[in-house]
Amino acid sequence: MSDLKSLIKEKLNDGADAFLCLKEEEGTLLPALITDADSPDLELAAVGEARYPLGKILIDLLREYPDKRFAVLVRGCDERALIELSKLEQVDLDRLVMVGVACTEEEARACGCPRPYPSEVALGEKVEAAPGRETIAEVESLSDAERLRWWKEEFSRCIKCYGCRNICPMCFCKDCALENPHLVEPGVIPPEFPSFHVIRALDMAGRCIDCGLCEEACPADIPLRSLYRRMQEIMEEKLGYRAGESAEEKSPLSFLGSEQDIKKLERE
Amino acid sequence: MADNGKKLDYRLVPSTCVYCGTGCGVLLEVTDGRVTGTLPQKDHPVSRGALCIKGWAAHEFVHSDKRLTRPMVRVDGKLVETDWDTALQTVAEGLSRAAKEHGPEAVGFFASARCTNEENYLLQKLARAAVRTNNVDHCARLCHASTVAGLAMSFGSGAMTNSIGELEDAEVILVVGSNTTEQHPIIGEKILAAARKGAKLIVIDPRSIHLSDFAQIYLRPRPGSDVAFINGLANVIVSEGLEDRDFIAARTEGFEEFRKAVAEYTPERVEELSGIPAADLAAAARLYAAAERASIVYCMGITQHTTGTDNVLALANLAMLTGNIGKPCAGVNPLRGQNNVQGACDMGGLPNVYPGYQRVNDEETAAKFEAAWGVEGLPRQPGLTVVEMTDLAAEGELRALFIMGENPMVSDPDINHVRQALQKLDFLAVADIMDNETLEYAHVVLPAASFAEKDGTFTNTERRVQRIRKAVEPVGEARADWEIVCGIAKKMGAAGFDFSSPEEIFEEIRKVTPSYAGMSYARLGTRGLQWPCPAEDHPGTPILHTESFPIGKGKFTALEFREPAETPDEEYPLVLTTGRLLFHYHTGTMTRRSPSLVREIDRAFVEVNPADAAELGIRDGERVKVSSRRGSVEVDAKVTERVGKGVIFMPFHFAEAAANLLTNPALDPVAKIPELKTCAARIEK
Repeated sequence: MSDLKSLIKEKLNDGADAFLCLKEEEGTLLPALITDADSPDLELAAVGEARYPLGKILIDLLREYPDKRFAVLVRGCDERALIELSKLEQVDLDRLVMVGVACTEEEARACGCPRPYPSEVALGEKVEAAPGRETIAEVESLSDAERLRWWKEEFSRCIKCYGCRNICPMCFCKDCALENPHLVEPGVIPPEFPSFHVIRALDMAGRCIDCGLCEEACPADIPLRSLYRRMQEIMEEKLGYRAGESAEEKSPLSFLGSEQDIKKLERE
Repeated sequence: MADNGKKLDYRLVPSTCVYCGTGCGVLLEVTDGRVTGTLPQKDHPVSRGALCIKGWAAHEFVHSDKRLTRPMVRVDGKLVETDWDTALQTVAEGLSRAAKEHGPEAVGFFASARCTNEENYLLQKLARAAVRTNNVDHCARLCHASTVAGLAMSFGSGAMTNSIGELEDAEVILVVGSNTTEQHPIIGEKILAAARKGAKLIVIDPRSIHLSDFAQIYLRPRPGSDVAFINGLANVIVSEGLEDRDFIAARTEGFEEFRKAVAEYTPERVEELSGIPAADLAAAARLYAAAERASIVYCMGITQHTTGTDNVLALANLAMLTGNIGKPCAGVNPLRGQNNVQGACDMGGLPNVYPGYQRVNDEETAAKFEAAWGVEGLPRQPGLTVVEMTDLAAEGELRALFIMGENPMVSDPDINHVRQALQKLDFLAVADIMDNETLEYAHVVLPAASFAEKDGTFTNTERRVQRIRKAVEPVGEARADWEIVCGIAKKMGAAGFDFSSPEEIFEEIRKVTPSYAGMSYARLGTRGLQWPCPAEDHPGTPILHTESFPIGKGKFTALEFREPAETPDEEYPLVLTTGRLLFHYHTGTMTRRSPSLVREIDRAFVEVNPADAAELGIRDGERVKVSSRRGSVEVDAKVTERVGKGVIFMPFHFAEAAANLLTNPALDPVAKIPELKTCAARIEK
């Protein structure tokens, strides 16, 4: 198994214009874009424990630098995000090289990750972990009225920071329904229940890759992931689709595509 | 769409949020030389990877077209662009002339709670060492002057006694005069986290705020009745024998006098004075006193009164009475408003103290600074406060004023009076990042660099000194305030302003400021250090007063309730109280240029209780005129139960309907803080 620094050098030699990973600087871990083998950042490059939305960063980088090719260090969740983003036509996988890192057992357990490794692992050892379903099971055991009350209480702490959306690698729309004054009254906290959170949950259907960054960014510790995970389960049960699994199969809820495809769908 | 071989430039730069005093860790995203985004710093000791909406939008104003980009001087009544050399020379001459012709006391300086420690340090050094005046003050006067004064009297140190993270493990949290989830959102969420872990919340506020929904006990007092109800809480604790006698005996003095004073404040009498039901007040007192770890959190609802210092002293009394000082998850915790209001005070941006709260009228201290700065004859008399400088400018006694990063034409009470004062000045120079209302009266305007365009440090509300880092070049010709101050000083011929970086300035700061002595940029890193940090091997101090107080024993103060300066009458039958909203900051120069924040709300309003609205025939959303003895503004009425009957509330962010045209500049006699939280008003259709 090779180490991260050699992998970065290798990819930069093999035609990638830059390598997106994390670095450890002044005692903190943060994303870094390394553009050449002489960069001082190379010595600071690290796998680390903190996670940042690298997929989201790549959407912008690929757009800002349309002639460049990128390599990126991916965990299982990052890979799922990039695969789904490519199907949503937000990233071009042909201009991307993914270098896989497997999460440690401790990380996988802390995240309750269903698949804590990418399809090809260059760093680390694959481990398995069970997705945490405790909250979902607890909520599912409630009656409809109780469940509504339960969620209402959880969401009552929301201060409308939009952190769940802002950090989400799968949220890229220029016009966000959460900011539509006809759907959600602006300027008040907690934001309208349930519209604000239902809009976001529905947008996650067929899209959420279960990375858990939303929960990490939530100042109110709202169990958002349990809501989106339930959406994921429904998608899987009813439509047999899991976001980020295969690069070919499109989401059944995806309306993005050529105009012809959309017209064809309308005819059918 | 080829990028023509555009060089890849994408970086993340660790910094500190520029809005409130929580001091959350941010990473500024830089793409191609521009700040394009903000991410939370995942492992930050305060914010731990979360931000509020303002934090997420911290970059949005940086490249606004309202940024000032060229120096300007007033010629024939109009501001015209000029070069830096001319602008700095004009400022130096304007200040020097006033000092020469009318004496140094005719010159004043407004420091800034938005600027770095390094910049505030230099500004007070300019005032004291170059002009020889102690007339240096800043907007802390308008927010927590009463905290600085009050807590210094009770404990010997006017700062938050405990740390933000400790709130999560408190048993009881008494939140009074702080709309925490809106004004310090990340701290507000720590209070809610404590509640989820079983902590009991007591919320006391004239408005029923977001936090009230989670409170075990919510009390709605009449605005300005604070001393009455806090004395009332103490009365119940003493009369039921719930006080901490060991702590009182070992750590405090003045208890007897205090006990006698609060004996008069029975819950029944307090009900008459404050409107809080006697039984509810007693229940709150019992809940607070019974906890092993009870924390008091307060903000401007306590401080912005003519009794502000008394209000703070009363809270300090309450904490000492129950032994809730000097231990984890307890204490008296003022939440400082601006990102660096703590630091601007620490740096001596106050008329009576040098950096580190060393008194200007102490001979030994003055001699120490004369030696350190290589000057003689530093003034021994404390200078003027912000509000006094405004008054004396209006009277023609203060002739020249330098304002660094403040907008008194929106932020200060009684704006009409502020306008008269600024118009009367012989010379006004303003350094700011944005076009704003105050520039209209400036003779020189200096474009300043924003937090994303310079290095330096901010000190958050829990005394944590944290770095900001230059992420991009300043817009246009803008320069960092520390460079501006050095430039003016050199034009005035003053020595001691040869700095080539903020780090060099910080090195001088730690030499003259004992509580910062152990800090360096390298040690601050991305987590900062909490003062006092007296030596390089000292880990910083999360909790103050664990063994003793800086003044030896804690001092109880016997306090009597006084009515606010203005109470409702026939002509002005309502009480107007003012404050901020989650989505904006102060005068809006930054937040109202941030699309994500403007989208939430961009219009002034007045909250009116449904009973008052019915009496006045006002419907929700209707345009109304709000008036006080000082002026009137037109705003939309918001009919809501959030305010009690007889009370109206207005946010003060909106210059076009400025709440501060109405507010009362009456001052607290000790701290000279104006009574922004209560005045008499009326509403008409």
